Amino acid sequence: MEFSKFLNSSIKLNIILIISFSISVNSFILFPNVNNTFYVLFHLTFIYLIFYHYHYYLYVVALAYGILFDILLLNYIGAHLITFLFLLILFVLLKKYLIKLSSYQIIFIYFITLIILLLFEQFLANIIYDYKFNIFLILNFFLISLIIFIPTIFLFHKLDK
Amino acid sequence: MAPKFQIKVFQLSRFLKNFTIISVVTLSFLLVFFSKTDYYVIYGIKNISSSVVVPVTRFISAPVNAFSNFVDEYNQFRSLKFENKILQEEIIRLKKWQTLAIQNSRENKVLKKLLNATDNNLILIKTASLINRNDTIYSKLINLNAGYEDKIKKNMSAINERGLVGKVIDTTAKNSRVILLTDPNLSISVKSISDGIFSLLTGNGDGKYLVSSFVKENKMPRLGDIVVTSGTAQIFPVDLLVGKVAKVEKNRFFVLPFVDFKNIDYLQIVTSK
Repeated sequence: MEFSKFLNSSIKLNIILIISFSISVNSFILFPNVNNTFYVLFHLTFIYLIFYHYHYYLYVVALAYGILFDILLLNYIGAHLITFLFLLILFVLLKKYLIKLSSYQIIFIYFITLIILLLFEQFLANIIYDYKFNIFLILNFFLISLIIFIPTIFLFHKLDK
Repeated sequence: MAPKFQIKVFQLSRFLKNFTIISVVTLSFLLVFFSKTDYYVIYGIKNISSSVVVPVTRFISAPVNAFSNFVDEYNQFRSLKFENKILQEEIIRLKKWQTLAIQNSRENKVLKKLLNATDNNLILIKTASLINRNDTIYSKLINLNAGYEDKIKKNMSAINERGLVGKVIDTTAKNSRVILLTDPNLSISVKSISDGIFSLLTGNGDGKYLVSSFVKENKMPRLGDIVVTSGTAQIFPVDLLVGKVAKVEKNRFFVLPFVDFKNIDYLQIVTSK
């Protein structure tokens, strides 16, 4: 009980970030969807942190996770790092408009951002390193995003309370 | 449903904030720029990621790994009776073949002596075991517990008892990374055993089949043909087993690899003589 008081929602979200990163970069042959789910969860958590807990330390977080994702999944630095930093910069530029939106509009923007982020990573990997576009993977990410989006929002909302 | 949109304001000096952001963006740009070269910073980052980050992520994901292993063992236990029956039949069949093989082996030895031929064209560098795999999302990569201290170098071939598994793409002191044949970004030059048709194969994206990206003179191999490395690109040694032609279409064909990529425990790193 005392320990949970010590943890604020930002720290909890960062713990989720670490766990989802760790699980998504270790393949489980029997359950490949576990990796994909935690990969999507990582992106969801990162967007949530930017939207609701924006702080300049997130640039360092984006740098670290971007590099690690790129090296562990693609063996070259680029796609994830650029995407995460681009999202942060875009948020800073657009936050004055985002503040005016309602909760439901924010949820919609949140989901669209997630899908665009996942697509943008594939697109960048294709442009920078000639990585072939994997339609199976994109469809899988989209389906997983649809399934886990609402439960994750509820979970984060509870954590924030 | 979602919490009301709000931005927390932190009391920090504007200079420090801007400095961090500019440094991170500049550093990122430099890292992306130098990523494809063998620049020592990139090498250092790769070294840290394989020797520090990978063990940490493995520790954090250990419960999921344990559950995955438990399910795997349970499935194996369930199929034990059925497998036992198949194996008994296999033993009877193999015993018949063994007699024939011994005879052939003797004949082979005699003929090799007459021809003064060498046994194979491979040099075994190291047998390494799998540390972890990153073959679900994006590239199909696996990490091995042997690196340049064990004389493993970039572009060496990784094989197991069934055939060609992949190619070493990175080495650190104690670890190396292997890209699997099923990766859509890896091309291998192969030839069919029966007709000697040369072609290039790449991963199909589904992780099961290899698909031809180029076929010399547009001659298609026959269904069931065995495909081996041609050695023409001088990356893979010649005559390593790759797979069997499983499907032939008008302009391309599909190969089912001999290697079971889901069950890789040990790999041999080899190079040609």
